[in-house]
Amino acid sequence: MPKADILVVIPAYNEEANIVAVVQNLIENYPQYDYVVVNDGSRDHTAELCREHHYNLLDLPVNLGLSGAFQTGLRYAYRMGYARAIQLDADGQHLPQYIEPISQEMDKGADIVIGSRFITKKKPINLRMFGSFIISFAIRFTTHRALTDPTSGMRMLNREMIAEFSHNLNYAPEPDTISYLISRGAKVAEVQVEMGERTAGKSYLNMRAALRYMAQMCTSIFLIQWVRKRETEEVQPYV
Amino acid sequence: MYNLSPALMVILIAGSISTMAYVLLRIRKEKMQIEDALFWLLFGALLIVLSLFPGLSIWAAHQLGVQSPVNFVYLFILFLLLVKLFLQSVKMSQLEEKIRRLSQTIALNEHTAEHHDDALGNAPQADEHK
Repeated sequence: MPKADILVVIPAYNEEANIVAVVQNLIENYPQYDYVVVNDGSRDHTAELCREHHYNLLDLPVNLGLSGAFQTGLRYAYRMGYARAIQLDADGQHLPQYIEPISQEMDKGADIVIGSRFITKKKPINLRMFGSFIISFAIRFTTHRALTDPTSGMRMLNREMIAEFSHNLNYAPEPDTISYLISRGAKVAEVQVEMGERTAGKSYLNMRAALRYMAQMCTSIFLIQWVRKRETEEVQPYV
Repeated sequence: MYNLSPALMVILIAGSISTMAYVLLRIRKEKMQIEDALFWLLFGALLIVLSLFPGLSIWAAHQLGVQSPVNFVYLFILFLLLVKLFLQSVKMSQLEEKIRRLSQTIALNEHTAEHHDDALGNAPQADEHK
């Protein structure tokens, strides 16, 4: 049985510059949570560093991308019987001090709680946030729910969602999945958080990737979600 | 007017026969599963039939009201390849999903093996079946 209720899933791809600081902070200052680092087939020393420090590590033999890596963490959470799992980026942008308020929000009965940067703060108007606006609009249009920060990666899932995310195809930890889940009745809440700047290394989100991401999200939210079969009605996951 | 040009016929015959020969050669070298080779065998055979009996496409073009028989040939091949492409896409998706599942399972099992004496690593309480 797990020591804690909450599992912190840390997907890491080529994060040798940040991973130790992020995990060390978690271990030293937040011992009430369990964590697992999912090394997503990194080509640098991420896995070696984790082994050296005896971190709890899931080491993927090949690079699966964020959704595959996060799903690995969720399968682990499911196997180990954790009640809740939260994604924490390995680049130091997600601050663990907000896990507590996010978890408290979940106590009120939400299936998914998103750490949002813009509940009490205004969204800055720049190119990056333009994408966020559009996705917010797409979700509002299709689900009539207003999400202030749909692209935030800091999301907590309850046990039911852990099962659903870990068993099914097309459950990337992305806004389109959130949109789909809202439309089929999942309760999604948001909590105000601050996010840090990435402390070292480089984000792979460049202009081209961002545009691609946007196009994919919008097509997915507007079109694909309508034709999607409700997978949970077919499978019997919550064993 | 309702005819295939001799040049096109020669190209079609040569193309279909060499496609067929290539497919047979590769299957003999066992670089391909029989199930996958079957499509290309049938496809090659179809091309040969179409090129040897232009009357077929002329007839079909006439029946469908396609202006020139050669357009019918294009349309027919295009349609077959489109269907094939779609099926390939489905298959690739499934393969990717399988690779993803397998990699995850490897990572999870490795973790269990590393921590087998650890209280945490013991006996996963519910395993997945999918």
